[in-house]
Amino acid sequence: MTQPEREITLRRTATGWGARFPAMASPCEVLLETDDREVAQGAATAVAAEAWRIEDKFSRYLDGNAVHRINSAGGEPVVVDDETARLLDFAETLYGLSDRRFDITSGVLRKAWRFDGGDRIPDREAVEALLERIGWHRVTWQSPRLVMPAGMEIDLGGIGKEYAVDRCIEVLGRSTDVPALVNLGGDLGVTGPPRRRDAWRVGVEGHAATSADRRIDLKQGALATSGDARRFLLHDGIRYGHILDPTTGWPVANAPRSVTVAADTCTQAGMLSTLAMLQGHEAEAFLERQGIKAWCRR
Amino acid sequence: MRAAAAAVTDVAVRSKDPSLTAALASATCVLLGTTTSAPVDAREEPTWDVSTSLLYYGEDGDRVRDLSFKSLSRRLYSDDRVLTLGLTIDSLTGATPNGAIRQDGVQTFTRPSGADAYTVTTGALPLDDTFKDTRLSLSANWQQPAGEKGLVNVGASASKEYDYLHTGLNAKYAHDFNQRNTTVSAGIAYAYDTIDPVGGAPLPLTPMLDVGDVSNRLGDKHKDILDVIVGVSQVVNRNLVVQANYSFSRQDGYLNNPYKVLSRVDGVTGETLPRAPGPNGGPSGQFLFENRPDQRTLHGIYTQAKLNLGGRVLDASYRYMTDDWEIDSHTLDMRLRWPVGPSSYLEPHVRFYTQTEAEFYRVSLDDSQSLPSFASSDYRLGNFDAVTAGLKFGWKTRNDNAMAVRVEWYTQSGTIPAAQIIGNQAARDNYPDLDALIVQVSYRFGL
Repeated sequence: MTQPEREITLRRTATGWGARFPAMASPCEVLLETDDREVAQGAATAVAAEAWRIEDKFSRYLDGNAVHRINSAGGEPVVVDDETARLLDFAETLYGLSDRRFDITSGVLRKAWRFDGGDRIPDREAVEALLERIGWHRVTWQSPRLVMPAGMEIDLGGIGKEYAVDRCIEVLGRSTDVPALVNLGGDLGVTGPPRRRDAWRVGVEGHAATSADRRIDLKQGALATSGDARRFLLHDGIRYGHILDPTTGWPVANAPRSVTVAADTCTQAGMLSTLAMLQGHEAEAFLERQGIKAWCRR
Repeated sequence: MRAAAAAVTDVAVRSKDPSLTAALASATCVLLGTTTSAPVDAREEPTWDVSTSLLYYGEDGDRVRDLSFKSLSRRLYSDDRVLTLGLTIDSLTGATPNGAIRQDGVQTFTRPSGADAYTVTTGALPLDDTFKDTRLSLSANWQQPAGEKGLVNVGASASKEYDYLHTGLNAKYAHDFNQRNTTVSAGIAYAYDTIDPVGGAPLPLTPMLDVGDVSNRLGDKHKDILDVIVGVSQVVNRNLVVQANYSFSRQDGYLNNPYKVLSRVDGVTGETLPRAPGPNGGPSGQFLFENRPDQRTLHGIYTQAKLNLGGRVLDASYRYMTDDWEIDSHTLDMRLRWPVGPSSYLEPHVRFYTQTEAEFYRVSLDDSQSLPSFASSDYRLGNFDAVTAGLKFGWKTRNDNAMAVRVEWYTQSGTIPAAQIIGNQAARDNYPDLDALIVQVSYRFGL
């Protein structure tokens, strides 16, 4: 996979400076409420560096990083570093909380499913065969030591972006007191309320031309969205969304097109929106039970 | 496409099952190595999405000029309910053909008000320069989901200009099928319009009279219009959306243009029959006020395709209209939105239009023949072709609002049926080409 140029471009905004950079195959942005270009440049550089560090360390496309070492161990034990261990602990907790449906070993299903708007759905046998290689319960995880059967793979893509937003917010908080917003490909968090206006205004895109954008005013916390109107398969008139249920190997039926959740941290928001998608037609009921602020699009 | 106007559920903040959120919160604290986070504060604000535009339309040769300000404000409420308010202010000036033909020699005409007369120089196309008006239009629409797959839209509109009052109501229902990839819709609109022409509506096919003589003028007139439309739109794949609809329109009542006349001409020479103006001035020839049927039924078929070609969006449409006045028209419209850089685009536009003339279209009235029941020389009822070509440039402003400038040229050329051209008329162009310049600046912002 070719990496886009790792460049940060600064531009003046109505209330300060904005910086754009590519990371994790997404356009990313930092908004800073300062008129000082130097301060903005410094903060943006720190944020981009942290996002790129996490991408390099946990991307499943790169050789030699933490994820690659686990995936290429061929059934041999692997001892992981502290940060990786914390992510694996977190993934294990989510596996339990989600009734085995949030599973970082489910990435191999991508070999069968290609969500490109086309109409090809995989053979049942192909999906069945892949299910043999999926399931966190097949993994022996005793921090910091992991033993995973050969042929299985882990993919932290379901956590990585949200975790990176929270890490970037943390990095910003240590280096400056300028109010800031970090947006990594649509998942975002803020350091706190802005000073030059009453809230950060976040536009949430509708998924067609006539659908008006909604505006969420965010003073504190984070937003994450699961689901994407552009990632789907159309077969015999049935639309298959890209959220796969690792217990069946098939897309979750009747899942919303997208779920946006507001939470204290981007990690929480991201996990809740993913768990809601996995509920299919009960997504709204699930969100209501959790008592969180969420927007569900069907 | 309406597939997007799906039910959006704004889930209330009421925790009935806090165990999962609590477990997630503590797992997140461990992951991030933090003890607590400040509680989230997010709310959805109802927003106004305002589109404004200023449009200049100018016909060459001192003809019609229109300066138009338009604003459309959409307010989004929860559950995809949308209020749309529209406002348009038009200011029209200039001169418009009064329907009479060219003559060698000066022609005089009584103004629509009947208060005085105007003169047209020798050989010139008779234009009435009285044309001046300001129009105010208001509209309101309410849209809301009906059930899980339906969407209802109801609206009202009104507009007022000096001699015209329009009032209308409309309703539309759209229903999604097939995982929201197919939308079927049906709509109905009814309008009741009152025309109160300057000086009163003239009695059809009676002559234009001398200044001060209003004996053939009547009071105000009405018409009503019923429109019905049924359509279907289909998402074919992620790059192609197509739609088609059928429309029916029925107009009843006063459909004449009260300001248009026809020249009554000699059956051999084609020259306008002369008339001696009265002492206070008046028409120099015989000009009869037009008359159109008091009913018109139109049928239309419209098809449109939107195709995404690697980020460039082609929007192509074709419309066929036919009516019982025997005007058949074809419109082909194409625009291509071409991104230029990350936040701007160029959009070339081209439109071709052609129509046949109304069955009662006459360039003049032949004195040697009996007077027809219906006749109009309005060039808009004639046989003509038109081409519009233009370019739009749009960009995002620093605070993410959208700005666009559009420049277009419109050119129209008409043909008078050969059988209608009598004698000397062959040497005079009574259906001159029309060229117009259109410039529009638009700005869209959120509040």
